[in-house]
Amino acid sequence: MVNNELPPINFRWELIWENRGILAKGLSVAISVSITALMLSLVLGLLLALTRMSRFKLISGVSSVYVNIFRGIPALVSVIWVYFGWSLLFGHNFSVFQSGVIALTLLYSAFFSEIFRSALQAIPTGQREAGLALGMSRLKIFRSIIMPQATKIALPNIGSMYIGMVKDTSTFAVIGLAEVVRVVQDLNSINFQPFVLFTAAALLYVFVAFIVDQIFRSIEKNFSYPPTGKVAKFLTKGKKTRIDKLMA
Amino acid sequence: MEKRFSLIVSDTSTSQTLMELSGVRKTFGTVEVLHGIDLTIHKGNHVVIFGPSGSGKSTLLRSMNLLAEPNSGSVKFLGVEYGPGVDGQRKVRRGKSIALRQQVGMVFQQFNLFPHLSALDNIALPLRSAKGLSIKDAEERAALELKNVGLLNWAASYPGQLSGGQQQRVAIARALSLDPKIMLFDEPTSALDPELVGEVLSVMRKLAETGMTMVVVTHEMNFAKEVGDVNVFMEAGNIVEIGGRDFWTKSLSERTQQFIGSVL
Repeated sequence: MVNNELPPINFRWELIWENRGILAKGLSVAISVSITALMLSLVLGLLLALTRMSRFKLISGVSSVYVNIFRGIPALVSVIWVYFGWSLLFGHNFSVFQSGVIALTLLYSAFFSEIFRSALQAIPTGQREAGLALGMSRLKIFRSIIMPQATKIALPNIGSMYIGMVKDTSTFAVIGLAEVVRVVQDLNSINFQPFVLFTAAALLYVFVAFIVDQIFRSIEKNFSYPPTGKVAKFLTKGKKTRIDKLMA
Repeated sequence: MEKRFSLIVSDTSTSQTLMELSGVRKTFGTVEVLHGIDLTIHKGNHVVIFGPSGSGKSTLLRSMNLLAEPNSGSVKFLGVEYGPGVDGQRKVRRGKSIALRQQVGMVFQQFNLFPHLSALDNIALPLRSAKGLSIKDAEERAALELKNVGLLNWAASYPGQLSGGQQQRVAIARALSLDPKIMLFDEPTSALDPELVGEVLSVMRKLAETGMTMVVVTHEMNFAKEVGDVNVFMEAGNIVEIGGRDFWTKSLSERTQQFIGSVL
């Protein structure tokens, strides 16, 4: 006779607290990989946006092809290419950390390129014309007039993209990077509590998303006109006293 | 009124030639919007350009600082050739457009203040990057220019916190801070609420009285009558008629008279 009865459900939620140290370690790995990749993707993304807006068809074509390919590739495929593919093709191994960073950068620079491109195109042409009419160089116009305004427009989108980057680090469990999901898989193989442990992972990602959102909101305040953020106020303190003196 | 006229009239016959346009043509796509314009501006002139919309007034003004680079024709400023040149003529010396723009001030219809900078920094930024002034010198100069347009108390305000009239006055102060030899105004009051037009015109009137060379594209006919000593009527990419102070009463062309009649 076959016993069709399920065993009694026994959720061991205390496992989360008991393993808080190792879970936190996993989270810190996820954050280090994604922040490093964020910095690199921002630089590469801006370069791609600028080259894509180039009037030279070859240059804009190359970055257009790059963007259209890489924004369509899943993080799992990207990291397998970088970690296994690269070493098979060239005999050189990236560490799991490096592979994670490169995989994320390849994908997200494509997204950031689109974010920057639309932000740059949203600046009215009159801004550039005013700079030119005032005898400013093109580089100076870009740096001091266009870029600060484009950054303000791009910031909210960069924030939500970064939340996506953190979540995509979960796929790097496949190459053995000790991020949140990998840690949870290891704990599960000992404790057989998938529901509890993967819920713990989910809670960690939600927590990070919340914090990232808060951080970006406070960064955005420093880019409002006039800036209301604490950092901007601190940085422009000297300017404010100078203006007060000039107005007196 | 008569007295003010005599104050801001300029003597065209003896003064120095500042800008000389000859054969300026400009094409957008397949449409030619300027059909070979010739215009000479002397030092101290107050040139008013008017005409129906689409006649090429703004494009002509923008060709004077190469924001609209002519397809052909000569833009000569203080003896230096900046435009592409008239076909078949050899160019003596061709200046860089940035050098021209550093001597030519421009005020736009939409003000084009930098929204991310305070009124003071809107003026100080170009002073620093185009003139190479130190922060301190640039800010002091900016404060002086704001004072001249009556906005020193608004130095710390951002463009979004200013009225349209105040923004345009900051824009004028910004252009003047670079010590231009000529000021171009592209419909400076067209984007303003009617009650804010007066404050901008009075700044421009004061500027005219200082002897600044000005080229103004405007629909403000009363201002044009008061300040303009070279009046240019344009239509369909051509200059129909150029006249002096008596232009409004003595213009010859029937088309000009018809236009003046319709706007006054």
